Amino acid sequence: MPAPAEVGRAPGPPDGGWGWVVVFGAFLSIGFAYAFPKGLAIFFKEIQDFFGTSYSEVAWVSSIMLATTYGAGPISSILVNRYGSRPVVMFGGLLCGVGMVSAAFCTSILQLYVCVGFITGFGLALNLQPSVIIVGKYFLKRRPIANGLAMAGSPVMLCTLAPLNQFLFENFGWRGSFLILGAILLHCCVAGALFRPIGARTALVKTPVTEEGNDALKGKITEDGPMENRTEEEEGKDCFEKINQYLDFSLFKHRGFLIYLIGNVLMFLGFFAPIVFLAPYAKHTGIDEYSAAFLLSILAVVDMVARPATGIIANSRWVRPRIQYFFSFAIAFNGACHLLCPLASSYTGLIVYSSFFGLAFGMVCAMLFETLMDLVGAARFTSAVGLVTIAECCTILLGPPIGGILIDTFGDYKYMFIKCGAVMVLAGTFLFIMNYYNYRMLAKEEKERKRKEEDPKSVRTEDEGKKNWNKDSTQDGPELEPLREKGERVKKEMNGTVEV
Amino acid sequence: MPATFSRRCLGCLLLLLLCTRVSGGTPADSAMTTQDSNQTEVNSVTKMQAEHESSGPAVATEKLKPASKQNSQSVSEHEIVLSGAPVEKSVSVPSPTKVELTCKLDENSHLKDPQVTWKKGSETISHTSKSRNSWTIQLTISDSSHLGTYTCILKGEKELSAVFHLQVPKIEGREKPIITYEGDRAVMVCKTEYNPKAWIWYMNMTNGTGQVSIDKVLPTDKFLIKRQSAKVSRLEILKLTKEDRGVYWCEASFDLGTSEARFELRVLSFTAPLKPFLAIVAEVAILVTAIALLEVYSKRKEKRGEKESDQIEQLKSEDVPRRRK
Repeated sequence: MPAPAEVGRAPGPPDGGWGWVVVFGAFLSIGFAYAFPKGLAIFFKEIQDFFGTSYSEVAWVSSIMLATTYGAGPISSILVNRYGSRPVVMFGGLLCGVGMVSAAFCTSILQLYVCVGFITGFGLALNLQPSVIIVGKYFLKRRPIANGLAMAGSPVMLCTLAPLNQFLFENFGWRGSFLILGAILLHCCVAGALFRPIGARTALVKTPVTEEGNDALKGKITEDGPMENRTEEEEGKDCFEKINQYLDFSLFKHRGFLIYLIGNVLMFLGFFAPIVFLAPYAKHTGIDEYSAAFLLSILAVVDMVARPATGIIANSRWVRPRIQYFFSFAIAFNGACHLLCPLASSYTGLIVYSSFFGLAFGMVCAMLFETLMDLVGAARFTSAVGLVTIAECCTILLGPPIGGILIDTFGDYKYMFIKCGAVMVLAGTFLFIMNYYNYRMLAKEEKERKRKEEDPKSVRTEDEGKKNWNKDSTQDGPELEPLREKGERVKKEMNGTVEV
Repeated sequence: MPATFSRRCLGCLLLLLLCTRVSGGTPADSAMTTQDSNQTEVNSVTKMQAEHESSGPAVATEKLKPASKQNSQSVSEHEIVLSGAPVEKSVSVPSPTKVELTCKLDENSHLKDPQVTWKKGSETISHTSKSRNSWTIQLTISDSSHLGTYTCILKGEKELSAVFHLQVPKIEGREKPIITYEGDRAVMVCKTEYNPKAWIWYMNMTNGTGQVSIDKVLPTDKFLIKRQSAKVSRLEILKLTKEDRGVYWCEASFDLGTSEARFELRVLSFTAPLKPFLAIVAEVAILVTAIALLEVYSKRKEKRGEKESDQIEQLKSEDVPRRRK
């Protein structure tokens, strides 16, 4: 039997190796999930003419798709909790393919709503969440980089899909294009095949303490694998505990989660509207259509570079422990860009605005899920992401229409930019202040725990300590443990400044 | 710490609420119709800033707000402000009306007291001077001969000119070919900003006899012409076959003339997109199989490695107590 010194916490995530392949798979998957609804806009004019509907009726297709992708988040989380990321993503890819292929044969706009909107949207939802979740399972120390790289899939896919869609449309019309796009979406299945389940790495360490650790982990699902060894436990539990196993509602008592939720829900009110209205605004100031489209290309290219770069910066020694501040700063920076946009009236000014907007947008997106993982930990991230996306769903859908109403009422785009900028600056400030408070509380709880560990009843507390990691009362995610040695000094500094 | 029953109930209720909240917002592009929907039927003065067009003559189409009454009191005014480069402007005249064209000199221009001439082709037209720096001609357009190109020339140290193209309103078609499939239907939509008197659709007969009006051909289960509104006409061709491919014309007739738009229709068989589709599906299947095989292979390697390390461990542990003894 191995020496007792080897006993202790399960080995951490690999932080490399097959993890980079998983990041590539997530890159593909996330890229499709975010870029595909935007890329469909090329077909809308033709579909509008074909079915004789108004533009807004066709635009519903995109809205329904977006709503389903975000709204089906909890279902996605439940499925991942139950079956693991890989089967869910492969099923999602298949569903997307089926949706688009059936859309190629649609004879009415309602059928398009169902095939493209609901079915494909649901398939994309089953792609998005599991990809983000599995990146969190494979990485810890380099997680911000991994997240930044995975999220970079969105602008890259958009830049690929836009000309591809144009080419397909010119050669095959909208029906043929949908058929071929269905096949292209099947690549999500390939991405899913790369998502090897992880978590069973503890099999190498066959000690009784680890088994006890597994008992402690039974309270919340942490492993990616199926639940065969826990079925005996399930009979005794009541309905709510069962639901909690699939979707962790106790997160609503988690301070960090609530801060993140409120801040993000507020932020999304002003997040997407500027992108939607950038080209129309450019045309409104007299710029021709191609130059206006070029602005969006600049945005996408800057975005592409900004996301991995932000990941690298967020991973650095100075930023990682305070990543929430960096996130709040990125949101406020984004808001400041929008507030300054009305001052840019010439084409050069708009180019500068697009570049800064691309930078800010990339920064926020790269850290969107990283900060949530940082707050709740990889264990509960599965449920957290589902709950967050369904809450964001409403404001994401409200943002552009509210902007549109502002534009229609005042006849001027600047009020929309001011509204978006103000909302985002507000969200950024809120997150900054609340995270400051959160870091303080975490530092206090850390001190409490340290005091308990130094208690003479050390044996019991070590196991209790492990059990505590996965219970509701703990606000700190277990993933910070290996970083604690590095972050200790930084946190002590913070403690020092805070106490004073 | 296990939460109380009531808290869990609250959690359930929250989930139900979130699920039942209808997540539909009005689509984002309502703003795009702002400019279209704000058209008023009022005469307006439009100004054209020449500073933008620094490279050669620029052609700009201007949206003339249609006059509601076709009486002699409705006058539409158009103005070009000159400062450097020559400027061209297209003015759409859908029905007989009075038109006032003005050339205005930019305040910052160095040209002082230029000699102004208005011409149509080679004919000079007398003009009036509305103000110190602007010169106007008034025209009554009552038939198509009055349409054409009107130029104002300002001669001084430099020569500046502006051109107005008065023409029948253009209609929008599709420059790129429309791609449809056998058995499907094709839809061609013709739009314009103004109300034409009539719409006529023509098609090129494949035996090369030129254009034939579809109204005359019209088996009603094959061709459907719908006038969706006064400004939009829609041709639907049902039950497409390969013979239906070719060029179609849409003609809108206005009081002062007609204008045309061209559509090209291509009919493909459904095997055309099917080939790339099957190729991509095959590629995906191959990739997934390859990844699965790779995983099985690496797992086998791992198991073999594990067995070996287990054996070594066993030998080591047997060794230790023997040594201790």
